[in-house]
Amino acid sequence: MKRRLNSKNPASLIIGLVVLAILAIAILGAPLLAPYDPVAQNAAERLEKPSEKHWLGTDRFGRDILSRTLHGGQTTLLSSLLALCAALAIGLLVGMAAGMFHGSALDHILMRIIDVLLAFPFMVFAMVIAGLFGTGLVHLLLAVVSVWWVSFARLTRSVVLHAKNETSYAAAKVLGASNLAIMRKELLPKAISPVLILATFELGTLILSIAALSFLGLGAQPPAPEWGSMLADGRAHFFQAPHILIGPAAFIVATVLAFNLIGEGLRDRLDPYEKLEL
Amino acid sequence: MHTVLLRKLLEALLTLFFATLIIFALIRLAPGDPVRLMLGHPGEIAAQGTSAYDEKVAELRAELGLDRNIAVQYVTWLGRLAQGDLGTSIFTGKQVGSEIAARLPATVTLSLSALLVQIALGLIFGMVAALRSGKLADQLIRVACVALASTPAFVVGLVALALFAVKYGVYEISSDFSAARLWLPALTLGVLGAPQLVRIMRANLLTEFGKIYVSSAQSRGLDRKRVVRHAARNALIPLVTMVALSFAGLIGGAVVIESIFSWPGIGKYALDSILVKDYPVIQGYALVAVLMVVLIHFLVDVVYSALDPRIHHKGEAGREEKA
Amino acid sequence: MRKLWSVVLLGLSLAVAGCSGGNSNTGNGSPASSSPAGSATQSEASPSPQASGAEPQELVVIGQEINASLDPVKPLTSSYLRNIGAGEALFKVNAGGEVEPSLAESATEVDPTTWEIKLRPEVRFWSGKAVNADAVIASLERSKSLDLQAQPFLNDLTITKLDDYTLQVRTNREHLPVPLNLSYYQTIIHNDEASHEDVATMDLTGMYKVTEFAPKQKMVLAINEDYWGRKPTIPTVVFEEISDEQTRVLSALSGRSHVTLNVPVSSLTQFKDNKEVYLSAAPAASTQTIYLNLSQPQLQDVRVRQALSWGADRDELVILAAEGQSTPVTTWLGSNPAYAAAKNAVYSQFDADKAAGLLDEAGWLKESDGIRYKDGKPLTVRLMTWGGDKALGEALQSQWTRIGVKAEVQHGDYSLIETARESGDWDASIEAWSTFGEEYAVLSGQYSSDGGANYGGYKDEETSRLLEELKKAGDPQSRHDLALQINERVAQQAPVISLFPRPQVTAVSGSLQGFEEHFRQFENVVNANLTLTAQ
Repeated sequence: MKRRLNSKNPASLIIGLVVLAILAIAILGAPLLAPYDPVAQNAAERLEKPSEKHWLGTDRFGRDILSRTLHGGQTTLLSSLLALCAALAIGLLVGMAAGMFHGSALDHILMRIIDVLLAFPFMVFAMVIAGLFGTGLVHLLLAVVSVWWVSFARLTRSVVLHAKNETSYAAAKVLGASNLAIMRKELLPKAISPVLILATFELGTLILSIAALSFLGLGAQPPAPEWGSMLADGRAHFFQAPHILIGPAAFIVATVLAFNLIGEGLRDRLDPYEKLEL
Repeated sequence: MHTVLLRKLLEALLTLFFATLIIFALIRLAPGDPVRLMLGHPGEIAAQGTSAYDEKVAELRAELGLDRNIAVQYVTWLGRLAQGDLGTSIFTGKQVGSEIAARLPATVTLSLSALLVQIALGLIFGMVAALRSGKLADQLIRVACVALASTPAFVVGLVALALFAVKYGVYEISSDFSAARLWLPALTLGVLGAPQLVRIMRANLLTEFGKIYVSSAQSRGLDRKRVVRHAARNALIPLVTMVALSFAGLIGGAVVIESIFSWPGIGKYALDSILVKDYPVIQGYALVAVLMVVLIHFLVDVVYSALDPRIHHKGEAGREEKA
Repeated sequence: MRKLWSVVLLGLSLAVAGCSGGNSNTGNGSPASSSPAGSATQSEASPSPQASGAEPQELVVIGQEINASLDPVKPLTSSYLRNIGAGEALFKVNAGGEVEPSLAESATEVDPTTWEIKLRPEVRFWSGKAVNADAVIASLERSKSLDLQAQPFLNDLTITKLDDYTLQVRTNREHLPVPLNLSYYQTIIHNDEASHEDVATMDLTGMYKVTEFAPKQKMVLAINEDYWGRKPTIPTVVFEEISDEQTRVLSALSGRSHVTLNVPVSSLTQFKDNKEVYLSAAPAASTQTIYLNLSQPQLQDVRVRQALSWGADRDELVILAAEGQSTPVTTWLGSNPAYAAAKNAVYSQFDADKAAGLLDEAGWLKESDGIRYKDGKPLTVRLMTWGGDKALGEALQSQWTRIGVKAEVQHGDYSLIETARESGDWDASIEAWSTFGEEYAVLSGQYSSDGGANYGGYKDEETSRLLEELKKAGDPQSRHDLALQINERVAQQAPVISLFPRPQVTAVSGSLQGFEEHFRQFENVVNANLTLTAQ
């Protein structure tokens, strides 16, 4: 067994960043790069298999899937990252507060809320939001964030409780550091790594969930391309033309993979424990 | 010990109370009127004049007590609940309690089986990924996990059905709840849920490896087997939280999988009821779901103390750590 | 994150359920969705090889949805009971659209407001109780008071007993087609004294008796040995709900189900090379129709409405939204086989130039962004869709954009459409009401000012006058002509835009003989002539 010196395994971080950069260029450059108008329908060329003309084929309206995927990335990524950050922020805050003041009334109340939300039929939330505030992507994000932070909060809290057993925490306490300072310096760094890994992983789930609620009127409305709804709409033709799913699916996988690599790369940097190779 | 149990019970009741309050208020904010939705359109052909329809709606609303003040409705419902009565479905006229009881076994069976698959996959591949950290096996597992986590459930479910039911003819597509029909949805659901567990297991193990190294840096000749065993044991503890979360999600009903495999569980029943605003059913379902989550957390406590003997000594604090 | 997964799962399942043609919602919010899909498939008890030699014993029918209750007066329940051979009405409509006696023996029109119906003395309920005049009257009274959906067919009738097996029916209007009214599934004859809560006590007349029932999951039936008519030969029928459309398709392909109802049009290619299953695609007599909200300023102008109709390329819509499994219909009655002449009336062919001309004339002028404006305001139409109509909405959006209309699609749950209708804040939505039935009832429900399906507030003197005439008209020919006139008048005024008949596809196993294609497939699956052969 050898100890890897300074082995913060930068490879995953770098690969992740490179993939992300390529994706970002492709998506931001969609207006220039996309070969066709993403919403232009052409009944004569519907459900075509990938070819030289249409690299990823066409959908049921004869729209070019590559163009739609590139254009759709903006909506998808922007909205899912926004939701992710919001849920992360709430989750970390609540989780740390609950963990820090563990056993207090605050902790109990927060945990009860979390319990309720965990078991709550999410669809009811989504429906209420669609009914009260109207349809659209923003309201979808509202619905998603309102329940999504819960898992981050729970995880954060458990990490914090764990960390409180450690010597550095006790030391900080003894030295009279303020609660805020302890949170920021001791607990946040420890909590953020598992939570970040979870978050990068959840990104894919989130993107899929954007489509999942479109039947309620939440999510991107036609004809705007968006990865999640492209997958959902492709389902009707799944057996006839599975290629419809390939474009958006590949981009989702690449995005999630990139974030996952970055997340784990960051974790390696943030992790308070040195790594050991066995 | 008694006080702890008592406190747990009180907490559980409090959670349930919160849940009932929130669900009661929210579901009534959602658009759509259950009475109108149930009556549907007046016939296959549109009728002229709607006064009879409106009268019927008003009559039914009164009959169901929906015309009363929401607070009154809530108290009435709580009162019935105290007597163990979940109410009657607006749509089917059947007891919500018995309707849920009829579907719960299918969902619990499926959830437990899927959970076992998830845990098995999570442990095995998480361990492999951690031991081969940074190597090819680790990278392959990573890509597989990401791909699975980013694949819509319907793709996996439909492909499984097309293969096993149509191509090989070894799976029967029906609406029955039977042992012979369990394996395919359980496997599908298990595989779909495994990625998170794999990644968390890997991360936990790597952290534990690091800790052990730090703590035993001075001691020479650390035995690899012992390190792994020790690390695995510690890594399991945080994993329990994940598994519990996973189970809590499953128990609410995996709607896509239940629907694709036409598994007669609670997920689709709840969803149908939500869409038609069948208030008593939604309330009953939410209540049962919260109850299950509370129960799961209690079980997690038990598992925790079994896995981590320290918790016995530390009492309260340790027990709470699972959260 | 588990939570999130379940969200995704929930959503996708729904999205998918919705895609199936939009008929799936339990709420039967839209009239189109109130056609229950049930399909019967027969299969050996299990597809095991050893069964191949024996005569198959079980007919398996798979539907998108089955009943939640056994009581015929509960919404839609009677349609499933009728579909699967458990329940019958006094009359039935055959595949050709003609009314035939069923539990009744004959019906005669005595005078313009009186009919006499003869019952069959040999008919018995499952319990053995005679289906005599008293029982029939009690059954219809029960339906009338408890089933809102039965009221349009029964409200105008006063039924009295002449003798034990003869009924006299007096009607509020002249020349009401009483047998047609008494053929709808809502008028199913059931024993009013029995409790229909339970399999053991429910009491109907059909050739199959229910022996097992799990709400919204499965119903098992066995031959009624005392059936009054020709008895079926397949001993057992299983009627199952499989709500996922693609799972239904796979069920048909796997050979387990013998009749699979509501097959999605997008799955037709999967059946192409299959020799064991064939598809039956009798067009449904219901028209996919856009209803316009006439109280919106831009839609008050008849020219704008006409332009929207001219600007809809129905041939393309059939391809994009119905996979070619339908034919264009330019006026509403066109989907009714008896009014085939209406198929191509008024908007004889897609004409974007005509649409453009009308919009120019109405003062909506195209600007550099391709959108038409008047007084600085863009010409917008917000089309609300739900369930399986998203694709239709998207296709229309693209077509209307081409003529300079800023078309928006709002796809969501049906409750959103209902809420919008109540508040009046909507421009257009899609429904597919049945066009089959007595002309006056059907048309007045749509186009009279208090019609239940007159969502957009259409009020037209000429139409009302014609409707009044139709109400009084006696002979079939003049009723037919008047109906056509009304239909054409409405098409010209364009409060609605008719597109194509809703496709209706059923997958039938090659091992099943005697299956009858019907334009109301959802209530006509089981008949006595069905037989199964081992494949």
